[in-house]
Amino acid sequence: MSTETIESAEGLFADTKNGPRLLGSRCVTCDTPYFPRSAGCHNPNCDLSKVEDAEFGPKGKIWSLSIQNYPPPPPVVIVDPFEPFAVGMVDLVEGLRVLGRIVSDTPDKINVGDEVELVLAPLGVDATGAEVISWQFRPI
Amino acid sequence: MRDVAILGQGLHPWGKFNDKPVTELCRTATEAALADAGIKWRDVEAVAAASSRFSGGKGWGLNGNDLVEDMGSTGIPVYNMSAGCSAGANAFNVGHMMVASGQHDIVVVMGGEKMPKGFVQTSGLEDPTDPEYLRQRCVGLPGPGFWALLCRQRMAQYGTTEEDLARIAVKAHKLGALNENARFRKEFTMDEVLNSAMVNFPLRLYEICPVSDGAAAVVLCSPEIAKKAKSKPVWVASSAVATASFDDGIPRHIACTIGKGNPHHSEARIAVAKAMKSANLKPSDVDLIELQDNTVYYELAFPEEWGFIEPGTAEKWVANGDTMPTGKLPINPSGGFQSFGEATTAQALWQIVEVASQLRGEAGERQVPNAKIGLAQSLGLGGNATATVLRV
Repeated sequence: MSTETIESAEGLFADTKNGPRLLGSRCVTCDTPYFPRSAGCHNPNCDLSKVEDAEFGPKGKIWSLSIQNYPPPPPVVIVDPFEPFAVGMVDLVEGLRVLGRIVSDTPDKINVGDEVELVLAPLGVDATGAEVISWQFRPI
Repeated sequence: MRDVAILGQGLHPWGKFNDKPVTELCRTATEAALADAGIKWRDVEAVAAASSRFSGGKGWGLNGNDLVEDMGSTGIPVYNMSAGCSAGANAFNVGHMMVASGQHDIVVVMGGEKMPKGFVQTSGLEDPTDPEYLRQRCVGLPGPGFWALLCRQRMAQYGTTEEDLARIAVKAHKLGALNENARFRKEFTMDEVLNSAMVNFPLRLYEICPVSDGAAAVVLCSPEIAKKAKSKPVWVASSAVATASFDDGIPRHIACTIGKGNPHHSEARIAVAKAMKSANLKPSDVDLIELQDNTVYYELAFPEEWGFIEPGTAEKWVANGDTMPTGKLPINPSGGFQSFGEATTAQALWQIVEVASQLRGEAGERQVPNAKIGLAQSLGLGGNATATVLRV
Protein backbone atom coordinates (compact mmCIF):
# COMPACT_ATOMS: atom_id res chain seq x y z
CA MET A 1 0.00 0.00 0.00
CA SER A 2 1.20 3.48 -0.75
CA THR A 3 2.21 5.54 2.21
CA GLU A 4 3.02 8.80 0.47
CA THR A 5 1.25 11.03 -2.03
CA ILE A 6 3.39 13.05 -4.45
CA GLU A 7 2.85 15.31 -7.47
CA SER A 8 3.66 13.89 -10.92
CA ALA A 9 6.01 16.85 -11.37
CA GLU A 10 6.72 19.93 -9.30
CA GLY A 11 5.35 23.32 -10.23
CA LEU A 12 3.00 22.22 -13.01
CA PHE A 13 -0.32 22.45 -11.16
CA ALA A 14 -1.84 23.65 -7.88
CA ASP A 15 -5.04 23.42 -5.92
CA THR A 16 -5.71 27.17 -5.65
CA LYS A 17 -8.45 28.92 -3.68
CA ASN A 18 -10.39 28.99 -6.95
CA GLY A 19 -9.87 25.28 -7.56
CA PRO A 20 -7.34 23.22 -9.57
CA ARG A 21 -5.26 25.17 -12.05
CA LEU A 22 -2.39 24.47 -14.44
CA LEU A 23 0.64 26.69 -13.83
CA GLY A 24 2.08 28.23 -16.96
CA SER A 25 3.07 31.48 -18.56
CA ARG A 26 1.59 34.07 -20.87
CA CYS A 27 3.46 36.45 -23.14
CA VAL A 28 2.76 40.04 -22.10
CA THR A 29 3.20 41.20 -25.70
CA CYS A 30 1.43 38.69 -27.94
CA ASP A 31 -0.74 36.97 -25.30
CA THR A 32 0.44 33.45 -26.25
CA PRO A 33 -0.21 30.98 -23.40
CA TYR A 34 2.39 28.36 -22.44
CA PHE A 35 2.16 25.20 -20.35
CA PRO A 36 4.36 24.32 -18.58
CA ARG A 37 6.01 27.62 -17.69
CA SER A 38 8.24 29.07 -20.37
CA ALA A 39 11.29 31.26 -19.86
CA GLY A 40 10.45 33.24 -22.99
CA CYS A 41 7.97 33.58 -25.82
CA HIS A 42 8.46 31.19 -28.75
CA ASN A 43 6.39 33.19 -31.24
CA PRO A 44 8.83 34.15 -34.03
CA ASN A 45 6.72 37.24 -34.75
CA CYS A 46 6.98 38.48 -31.17
CA ASP A 47 10.00 40.70 -30.60
CA LEU A 48 9.78 41.37 -26.87
CA SER A 49 9.61 37.78 -25.60
CA LYS A 50 8.59 38.71 -22.08
CA VAL A 51 6.37 36.31 -20.19
CA GLU A 52 4.62 36.33 -16.84
CA ASP A 53 3.16 33.55 -14.70
CA ALA A 54 -0.38 32.52 -15.56
CA GLU A 55 -2.95 30.00 -14.35
CA PHE A 56 -5.06 27.95 -16.77
CA GLY A 57 -8.30 26.01 -16.36
CA PRO A 58 -10.66 24.61 -15.32
CA LYS A 59 -12.96 24.69 -18.38
CA GLY A 60 -12.30 22.94 -21.66
CA LYS A 61 -13.60 20.72 -24.44
CA ILE A 62 -12.37 17.33 -25.63
CA TRP A 63 -10.43 17.76 -28.91
CA SER A 64 -9.73 14.04 -29.06
CA LEU A 65 -9.50 11.03 -26.79
CA SER A 66 -8.35 7.42 -26.80
CA ILE A 67 -8.19 4.48 -24.45
CA GLN A 68 -4.82 3.16 -23.28
CA ASN A 69 -5.56 -0.56 -23.37
CA TYR A 70 -2.19 -1.95 -22.38
CA PRO A 71 0.22 -1.04 -19.55
CA PRO A 72 2.96 1.32 -20.79
CA PRO A 73 6.42 0.99 -19.19
CA PRO A 74 7.71 3.46 -16.54
CA PRO A 75 7.86 6.38 -16.12
CA VAL A 76 4.13 6.06 -16.96
CA VAL A 77 2.28 5.69 -13.65
CA ILE A 78 -0.43 3.01 -13.61
CA VAL A 79 -2.57 1.16 -11.06
CA ASP A 80 -1.74 -2.42 -10.06
CA PRO A 81 -3.39 -4.53 -11.40
CA PHE A 82 -3.46 -2.47 -14.59
CA GLU A 83 -6.74 -0.95 -15.68
CA PRO A 84 -7.17 0.72 -19.09
CA PHE A 85 -7.42 4.49 -18.86
CA ALA A 86 -8.66 7.27 -21.12
CA VAL A 87 -6.28 9.93 -22.44
CA GLY A 88 -7.32 13.09 -24.17
CA MET A 89 -6.25 16.30 -25.80
CA VAL A 90 -8.37 19.05 -24.27
CA ASP A 91 -8.86 22.58 -25.61
CA LEU A 92 -8.90 24.98 -22.67
CA VAL A 93 -10.83 28.22 -23.03
CA GLU A 94 -7.53 30.10 -22.48
CA GLY A 95 -6.28 28.87 -25.88
CA LEU A 96 -4.18 25.87 -24.88
CA ARG A 97 -4.51 22.31 -26.18
CA VAL A 98 -3.40 20.15 -23.25
CA LEU A 99 -2.77 16.42 -22.87
CA GLY A 100 -4.31 14.73 -19.86
CA ARG A 101 -6.00 11.62 -18.63
CA ILE A 102 -9.79 11.61 -18.62
CA VAL A 103 -11.47 10.58 -15.36
CA SER A 104 -14.53 8.51 -16.21
CA ASP A 105 -16.09 5.15 -15.43
CA THR A 106 -17.62 5.12 -18.93
CA PRO A 107 -14.93 6.48 -21.29
CA ASP A 108 -16.68 4.79 -24.25
CA LYS A 109 -19.50 7.30 -23.87
CA ILE A 110 -17.29 10.39 -24.10
CA ASN A 111 -17.20 12.18 -27.43
CA VAL A 112 -15.06 14.77 -29.15
CA GLY A 113 -16.49 18.18 -28.23
CA ASP A 114 -17.72 17.14 -24.76
CA GLU A 115 -17.12 19.68 -22.01
CA VAL A 116 -14.67 18.80 -19.25
CA GLU A 117 -13.15 20.39 -16.17
CA LEU A 118 -9.69 20.21 -14.69
CA VAL A 119 -9.25 18.00 -11.61
CA LEU A 120 -6.26 16.81 -9.59
CA ALA A 121 -6.49 13.04 -9.17
CA PRO A 122 -4.25 10.00 -8.65
CA LEU A 123 -2.70 8.27 -11.69
CA GLY A 124 -1.60 5.21 -9.71
CA VAL A 125 1.47 4.14 -7.81
CA ASP A 126 5.02 4.68 -9.08
CA ALA A 127 8.14 2.52 -8.69
CA THR A 128 8.88 4.02 -5.25
CA GLY A 129 5.44 3.00 -3.98
CA ALA A 130 4.18 6.58 -3.82
CA GLU A 131 0.69 7.52 -4.98
CA VAL A 132 1.13 10.02 -7.83
CA ILE A 133 -1.31 12.91 -8.31
CA SER A 134 -1.56 14.71 -11.65
CA TRP A 135 -3.84 17.03 -13.58
CA GLN A 136 -6.68 15.20 -15.31
CA PHE A 137 -9.99 16.12 -16.94
CA ARG A 138 -13.48 15.09 -15.87
CA PRO A 139 -16.56 15.31 -18.09
CA ILE A 140 -19.10 17.83 -16.80
CA MET B 1 24.50 24.11 -58.18
CA ARG B 2 24.68 21.08 -60.45
CA ASP B 3 22.43 18.07 -60.89
CA VAL B 4 22.95 15.06 -58.66
CA ALA B 5 22.33 11.43 -59.58
CA ILE B 6 21.62 8.38 -57.48
CA LEU B 7 23.95 5.98 -59.27
CA GLY B 8 23.47 2.99 -57.01
CA GLN B 9 21.29 1.83 -54.15
CA GLY B 10 21.24 -1.02 -51.67
CA LEU B 11 19.26 -2.40 -48.77
CA HIS B 12 19.74 -4.95 -46.07
CA PRO B 13 16.24 -6.47 -45.81
CA TRP B 14 14.11 -5.29 -42.87
CA GLY B 15 13.44 -7.74 -40.03
CA LYS B 16 14.84 -8.81 -36.68
CA PHE B 17 18.45 -9.96 -36.87
CA ASN B 18 19.54 -10.78 -33.35
CA ASP B 19 22.77 -12.47 -34.43
CA LYS B 20 24.06 -9.66 -36.64
CA PRO B 21 25.70 -6.42 -35.45
CA VAL B 22 24.39 -3.23 -37.03
CA THR B 23 27.73 -2.76 -38.82
CA GLU B 24 27.01 -5.91 -40.81
CA LEU B 25 23.64 -4.54 -41.89
CA CYS B 26 25.27 -1.24 -42.90
CA ARG B 27 28.02 -2.99 -44.85
CA THR B 28 25.54 -5.21 -46.70
CA ALA B 29 23.52 -2.17 -47.82
CA THR B 30 26.61 -0.14 -48.74
CA GLU B 31 28.29 -2.95 -50.70
CA ALA B 32 25.06 -3.47 -52.61
CA ALA B 33 24.84 0.24 -53.44
CA LEU B 34 28.48 0.40 -54.56
CA ALA B 35 28.10 -2.72 -56.72
CA ASP B 36 24.92 -1.29 -58.23
CA ALA B 37 26.76 1.95 -59.04
CA GLY B 38 29.91 0.24 -60.27
CA ILE B 39 31.93 2.37 -57.84
CA LYS B 40 34.79 1.16 -55.66
CA TRP B 41 34.83 2.09 -51.98
CA ARG B 42 38.25 3.72 -52.29
CA ASP B 43 36.78 6.19 -54.82
CA VAL B 44 34.11 7.43 -52.38
CA GLU B 45 34.94 11.00 -51.36
CA ALA B 46 32.64 11.49 -48.36
CA VAL B 47 29.99 9.75 -46.24
CA ALA B 48 26.77 11.27 -44.94
CA ALA B 49 25.23 8.85 -42.44
CA ALA B 50 22.08 8.78 -40.37
CA SER B 51 23.28 9.00 -36.80
CA SER B 52 22.14 5.78 -35.09
CA ARG B 53 20.16 6.12 -31.88
CA PHE B 54 19.79 2.59 -30.59
CA SER B 55 22.70 0.55 -31.94
CA GLY B 56 26.41 0.69 -32.82
CA GLY B 57 28.04 4.01 -33.57
CA LYS B 58 30.29 3.66 -30.50
CA GLY B 59 27.28 4.69 -28.42
CA TRP B 60 27.51 8.18 -29.92
CA GLY B 61 25.56 7.61 -33.10
CA LEU B 62 28.75 7.48 -35.16
CA ASN B 63 27.43 4.99 -37.71
CA GLY B 64 29.27 6.69 -40.55
CA ASN B 65 32.57 6.26 -38.73
CA ASP B 66 31.85 2.58 -38.10
CA LEU B 67 31.12 2.19 -41.81
CA VAL B 68 34.38 3.85 -42.86
CA GLU B 69 36.41 1.69 -40.45
CA ASP B 70 34.61 -1.41 -41.67
CA MET B 71 34.84 -0.68 -45.40
CA GLY B 72 38.40 0.64 -45.21
CA SER B 73 39.71 3.85 -43.66
CA THR B 74 40.58 6.24 -46.45
CA GLY B 75 40.61 9.47 -44.46
CA ILE B 76 37.41 10.83 -46.03
CA PRO B 77 35.06 13.23 -44.20
CA VAL B 78 32.09 11.69 -42.38
CA TYR B 79 28.93 13.51 -41.36
CA ASN B 80 26.61 11.80 -38.84
CA MET B 81 23.23 13.47 -39.03
CA SER B 82 20.71 13.25 -36.20
CA ALA B 83 17.05 14.07 -36.90
CA GLY B 84 14.97 11.39 -35.19
CA CYS B 85 13.18 9.25 -37.76
CA SER B 86 14.09 11.77 -40.46
CA ALA B 87 17.81 11.12 -40.03
CA GLY B 88 18.19 9.01 -43.18
CA ALA B 89 16.84 11.72 -45.47
CA ASN B 90 18.54 14.44 -43.47
CA ALA B 91 21.83 12.68 -44.29
CA PHE B 92 20.67 12.38 -47.90
CA ASN B 93 20.13 16.14 -47.95
CA VAL B 94 23.70 16.72 -46.77
CA GLY B 95 25.08 14.21 -49.27
CA HIS B 96 23.08 15.89 -52.01
CA MET B 97 24.44 19.33 -51.11
CA MET B 98 28.03 18.07 -51.11
CA VAL B 99 27.68 16.81 -54.69
CA ALA B 100 25.42 19.63 -55.94
CA SER B 101 27.86 22.24 -54.64
CA GLY B 102 30.75 20.64 -56.46
CA GLN B 103 32.62 19.89 -53.26
CA HIS B 104 32.60 16.15 -53.94
CA ASP B 105 31.85 13.98 -56.98
CA ILE B 106 31.04 10.68 -55.26
CA VAL B 107 29.30 10.48 -51.87
CA VAL B 108 27.80 7.52 -50.01
CA VAL B 109 24.68 8.14 -47.92
CA MET B 110 23.92 5.39 -45.43
CA GLY B 111 21.54 4.64 -42.56
CA GLY B 112 21.33 1.51 -40.44
CA GLU B 113 19.64 0.73 -37.15
CA LYS B 114 18.89 -2.19 -34.87
CA MET B 115 15.95 -1.50 -32.62
CA PRO B 116 15.58 -2.68 -29.02
CA LYS B 117 12.58 -4.83 -28.16
CA GLY B 118 9.36 -3.20 -27.09
CA PHE B 119 8.56 0.47 -26.81
CA VAL B 120 10.67 3.23 -28.20
CA GLN B 121 11.34 5.48 -25.23
CA THR B 122 11.50 8.77 -27.02
CA SER B 123 14.04 10.31 -24.68
CA GLY B 124 14.82 7.71 -22.03
CA LEU B 125 15.72 10.58 -19.72
CA GLU B 126 14.25 10.83 -16.23
CA ASP B 127 14.58 14.58 -16.17
CA PRO B 128 11.66 16.79 -15.08
CA THR B 129 12.88 19.50 -17.45
CA ASP B 130 12.58 17.10 -20.40
CA PRO B 131 9.12 17.51 -21.97
CA GLU B 132 9.08 13.92 -23.25
CA TYR B 133 9.61 12.66 -19.71
CA LEU B 134 6.82 14.90 -18.43
CA ARG B 135 4.44 13.58 -21.08
CA GLN B 136 4.96 10.00 -19.87
CA ARG B 137 5.22 10.74 -16.17
CA CYS B 138 2.32 13.19 -15.82
CA VAL B 139 -0.06 11.72 -18.42
CA GLY B 140 1.22 8.49 -19.99
CA LEU B 141 1.04 8.48 -23.77
CA PRO B 142 3.29 6.14 -25.80
CA GLY B 143 3.49 6.66 -29.58
CA PRO B 144 0.46 4.59 -30.59
CA GLY B 145 -1.72 6.56 -28.15
CA PHE B 146 -0.52 9.80 -29.72
CA TRP B 147 -1.38 8.53 -33.22
CA ALA B 148 -4.75 7.30 -31.92
CA LEU B 149 -5.65 10.75 -30.63
CA LEU B 150 -4.93 12.30 -34.02
CA CYS B 151 -6.90 9.57 -35.78
CA ARG B 152 -9.88 9.90 -33.44
CA GLN B 153 -9.93 13.63 -34.14
CA ARG B 154 -10.14 12.85 -37.85
CA MET B 155 -13.02 10.46 -37.20
CA ALA B 156 -14.90 13.26 -35.47
CA GLN B 157 -14.08 15.73 -38.24
CA TYR B 158 -14.66 13.61 -41.34
CA GLY B 159 -16.54 10.50 -40.20
CA THR B 160 -13.63 8.13 -40.84
CA THR B 161 -14.70 4.59 -39.90
CA GLU B 162 -12.80 1.63 -38.49
CA GLU B 163 -13.34 -0.05 -41.86
CA ASP B 164 -11.66 2.89 -43.61
CA LEU B 165 -8.60 2.34 -41.42
CA ALA B 166 -8.56 -1.44 -41.88
CA ARG B 167 -8.75 -1.05 -45.66
CA ILE B 168 -5.39 0.77 -45.62
CA ALA B 169 -3.74 -2.02 -43.62
CA VAL B 170 -5.11 -4.62 -46.06
CA LYS B 171 -3.71 -2.60 -48.97
CA ALA B 172 -0.32 -2.12 -47.28
CA HIS B 173 0.13 -5.83 -46.63
CA LYS B 174 -1.08 -6.80 -50.07
CA LEU B 175 1.86 -4.79 -51.43
CA GLY B 176 4.30 -5.73 -48.67
CA ALA B 177 3.70 -9.40 -49.46
CA LEU B 178 5.20 -8.68 -52.90
CA ASN B 179 8.31 -6.94 -51.57
CA GLU B 180 11.29 -9.24 -51.00
CA ASN B 181 12.86 -6.74 -48.57
CA ALA B 182 9.78 -6.44 -46.33
CA ARG B 183 9.67 -7.99 -42.87
CA PHE B 184 5.99 -8.95 -43.00
CA ARG B 185 5.13 -10.66 -46.27
CA LYS B 186 1.64 -11.88 -45.48
CA GLU B 187 -1.69 -10.58 -46.70
CA PHE B 188 -4.50 -9.87 -44.24
CA THR B 189 -8.25 -9.81 -44.77
CA MET B 190 -10.49 -6.99 -43.52
CA ASP B 191 -11.78 -9.37 -40.82
CA GLU B 192 -8.28 -10.24 -39.67
CA VAL B 193 -7.36 -6.56 -39.33
CA LEU B 194 -10.64 -5.64 -37.64
CA ASN B 195 -10.24 -8.54 -35.19
CA SER B 196 -6.61 -7.75 -34.31
CA ALA B 197 -6.04 -6.43 -30.79
CA MET B 198 -7.22 -2.89 -30.04
CA VAL B 199 -4.05 -1.04 -29.04
CA ASN B 200 -5.42 2.47 -28.59
CA PHE B 201 -8.90 3.11 -29.95
CA PRO B 202 -9.36 3.41 -32.90
CA LEU B 203 -6.00 1.87 -33.83
CA ARG B 204 -5.53 -1.90 -33.86
CA LEU B 205 -2.39 -4.00 -33.82
CA TYR B 206 -2.35 -4.49 -37.61
CA GLU B 207 -2.80 -0.75 -38.18
CA ILE B 208 0.40 0.43 -36.49
CA CYS B 209 4.02 -0.38 -37.29
CA PRO B 210 6.39 -2.24 -34.99
CA VAL B 211 10.15 -1.63 -34.77
CA SER B 212 12.57 -3.49 -37.05
CA ASP B 213 16.25 -3.74 -37.94
CA GLY B 214 17.47 -2.65 -41.36
CA ALA B 215 19.94 -0.61 -43.38
CA ALA B 216 19.87 1.39 -46.61
CA ALA B 217 22.54 3.08 -48.71
CA VAL B 218 22.82 5.10 -51.92
CA VAL B 219 25.74 6.33 -54.00
CA LEU B 220 25.35 9.94 -55.17
CA CYS B 221 27.46 11.32 -57.98
CA SER B 222 27.99 14.21 -60.36
CA PRO B 223 26.38 14.32 -63.85
CA GLU B 224 29.78 13.68 -65.47
CA ILE B 225 30.24 10.42 -63.62
CA ALA B 226 26.58 9.42 -64.06
CA LYS B 227 26.77 9.88 -67.84
CA LYS B 228 29.78 7.54 -68.09
CA ALA B 229 28.25 4.88 -65.82
CA LYS B 230 26.70 1.62 -66.98
CA SER B 231 23.83 1.70 -64.45
CA LYS B 232 20.73 3.83 -65.05
CA PRO B 233 20.85 6.94 -62.86
CA VAL B 234 17.90 8.37 -60.96
CA TRP B 235 18.08 12.16 -60.62
CA VAL B 236 17.46 14.15 -57.46
CA ALA B 237 14.86 16.75 -58.43
CA SER B 238 14.93 18.25 -54.93
CA SER B 239 15.83 17.47 -51.34
CA ALA B 240 14.20 19.51 -48.56
CA VAL B 241 14.50 19.57 -44.78
CA ALA B 242 12.12 21.44 -42.48
CA THR B 243 11.09 21.81 -38.87
CA ALA B 244 7.69 22.54 -37.34
CA SER B 245 6.13 26.00 -37.31
CA PHE B 246 5.07 27.94 -34.23
CA ASP B 247 1.36 27.75 -35.07
CA ASP B 248 1.30 23.92 -35.30
CA GLY B 249 -1.87 22.56 -33.69
CA ILE B 250 -0.59 19.24 -32.37
CA PRO B 251 0.71 19.15 -28.79
CA ARG B 252 4.09 17.42 -29.21
CA HIS B 253 4.84 17.41 -25.49
CA ILE B 254 2.07 18.23 -23.02
CA ALA B 255 0.46 21.32 -24.57
CA CYS B 256 0.41 23.62 -27.56
CA THR B 257 -1.27 26.89 -28.46
CA ILE B 258 -4.61 26.86 -30.26
CA GLY B 259 -4.39 29.53 -32.91
CA LYS B 260 -5.45 30.47 -36.40
CA GLY B 261 -4.87 27.80 -38.99
CA ASN B 262 -3.25 25.40 -36.57
CA PRO B 263 -1.76 23.14 -39.25
CA HIS B 264 -1.02 19.56 -38.32
CA HIS B 265 2.45 18.10 -38.95
CA SER B 266 3.57 21.51 -40.18
CA GLU B 267 7.15 20.28 -40.57
CA ALA B 268 6.06 17.69 -43.15
CA ARG B 269 3.87 20.17 -44.98
CA ILE B 270 6.69 22.71 -45.14
CA ALA B 271 9.23 20.12 -46.33
CA VAL B 272 6.93 18.81 -49.06
CA ALA B 273 6.01 22.33 -50.20
CA LYS B 274 9.71 23.29 -50.35
CA ALA B 275 10.63 20.15 -52.28
CA MET B 276 7.77 20.55 -54.76
CA LYS B 277 8.53 24.23 -55.35
CA SER B 278 12.24 23.60 -55.72
CA ALA B 279 11.54 20.85 -58.27
CA ASN B 280 8.99 23.11 -60.00
CA LEU B 281 6.28 20.44 -59.80
CA LYS B 282 2.58 20.33 -58.98
CA PRO B 283 0.92 17.42 -57.13
CA SER B 284 -0.53 15.92 -60.33
CA ASP B 285 3.04 15.56 -61.68
CA VAL B 286 3.92 13.07 -58.94
CA ASP B 287 3.58 9.42 -59.99
CA LEU B 288 4.04 7.88 -56.54
CA ILE B 289 4.57 8.78 -52.89
CA GLU B 290 6.39 6.91 -50.15
CA LEU B 291 5.12 8.56 -46.96
CA GLN B 292 5.77 7.85 -43.31
CA ASP B 293 2.93 5.53 -42.28
CA ASN B 294 3.76 4.70 -38.67
CA THR B 295 0.03 4.10 -38.63
CA VAL B 296 -2.59 3.83 -41.36
CA TYR B 297 -3.95 7.23 -40.27
CA TYR B 298 -1.09 9.01 -42.00
CA GLU B 299 -2.07 7.69 -45.42
CA LEU B 300 -5.32 9.63 -44.94
CA ALA B 301 -3.94 12.77 -43.31
CA PHE B 302 -0.72 13.52 -45.17
CA PRO B 303 -1.89 13.75 -48.81
CA GLU B 304 -4.64 16.13 -47.66
CA GLU B 305 -2.36 18.25 -45.47
CA TRP B 306 0.05 18.68 -48.38
CA GLY B 307 -2.69 19.76 -50.77
CA PHE B 308 -2.41 16.66 -52.97
CA ILE B 309 -6.09 15.81 -52.47
CA GLU B 310 -9.11 17.57 -51.00
CA PRO B 311 -9.50 17.45 -47.19
CA GLY B 312 -11.86 14.71 -46.06
CA THR B 313 -11.64 12.69 -49.28
CA ALA B 314 -8.70 10.35 -48.57
CA GLU B 315 -10.97 7.52 -47.40
CA LYS B 316 -12.65 7.49 -50.82
CA TRP B 317 -9.31 7.50 -52.63
CA VAL B 318 -8.30 4.40 -50.69
CA ALA B 319 -11.68 2.65 -51.12
CA ASN B 320 -11.58 3.29 -54.89
CA GLY B 321 -8.10 1.78 -55.16
CA ASP B 322 -6.69 5.15 -56.22
CA THR B 323 -3.71 4.80 -53.85
CA MET B 324 -2.74 1.39 -55.29
CA PRO B 325 0.20 1.23 -57.75
CA THR B 326 -2.24 1.33 -60.66
CA GLY B 327 -4.35 4.14 -59.14
CA LYS B 328 -4.39 7.90 -59.62
CA LEU B 329 -2.09 8.61 -56.67
CA PRO B 330 -0.06 5.53 -55.71
CA ILE B 331 0.93 5.69 -52.04
CA ASN B 332 3.49 3.39 -50.44
CA PRO B 333 3.75 0.79 -53.18
CA SER B 334 6.58 -0.67 -51.06
CA GLY B 335 4.05 -1.88 -48.47
CA GLY B 336 5.08 0.98 -46.20
CA PHE B 337 6.12 0.96 -42.58
CA GLN B 338 3.16 -1.36 -42.03
CA SER B 339 5.00 -4.11 -43.91
CA PHE B 340 8.56 -3.19 -42.94
CA GLY B 341 8.38 -1.96 -39.36
CA GLU B 342 10.45 1.05 -38.50
CA ALA B 343 14.22 0.93 -38.24
CA THR B 344 13.91 4.58 -37.11
CA THR B 345 17.06 6.42 -38.23
CA ALA B 346 17.47 4.27 -41.37
CA GLN B 347 13.85 4.49 -42.45
CA ALA B 348 13.84 7.72 -44.44
CA LEU B 349 16.72 6.52 -46.62
CA TRP B 350 14.90 3.22 -47.21
CA GLN B 351 11.98 5.28 -48.55
CA ILE B 352 14.29 6.99 -51.04
CA VAL B 353 15.63 3.61 -52.19
CA GLU B 354 12.06 2.35 -52.67
CA VAL B 355 11.16 5.39 -54.79
CA ALA B 356 14.34 4.99 -56.85
CA SER B 357 13.48 1.30 -57.48
CA GLN B 358 10.10 2.36 -58.83
CA LEU B 359 11.61 4.98 -61.14
CA ARG B 360 14.06 2.42 -62.46
CA GLY B 361 11.14 0.12 -63.19
CA GLU B 362 12.54 -2.56 -60.89
CA ALA B 363 9.62 -2.93 -58.47
CA GLY B 364 8.24 -6.14 -59.98
CA GLU B 365 4.60 -6.83 -59.20
CA ARG B 366 4.42 -3.61 -57.15
CA GLN B 367 5.54 -1.49 -60.08
CA VAL B 368 3.75 1.81 -60.68
CA PRO B 369 3.29 1.83 -64.46
CA ASN B 370 5.52 4.34 -66.24
CA ALA B 371 6.69 6.03 -63.01
CA LYS B 372 8.86 9.07 -63.77
CA ILE B 373 8.60 11.24 -60.63
CA GLY B 374 8.39 10.08 -57.03
CA LEU B 375 8.21 11.75 -53.60
CA ALA B 376 9.59 10.37 -50.34
CA GLN B 377 8.59 12.02 -47.05
CA SER B 378 9.68 11.50 -43.46
CA LEU B 379 8.71 12.83 -40.04
CA GLY B 380 11.06 12.69 -37.07
CA LEU B 381 11.08 13.40 -33.37
CA GLY B 382 11.75 17.01 -32.47
CA GLY B 383 9.69 18.48 -35.30
CA ASN B 384 11.96 17.21 -38.07
CA ALA B 385 10.73 16.41 -41.56
CA THR B 386 12.20 15.78 -44.99
CA ALA B 387 10.87 15.55 -48.52
CA THR B 388 12.85 14.19 -51.45
CA VAL B 389 11.71 14.26 -55.06
CA LEU B 390 13.37 11.91 -57.54
CA ARG B 391 12.93 11.72 -61.31
CA VAL B 392 14.15 9.80 -64.32
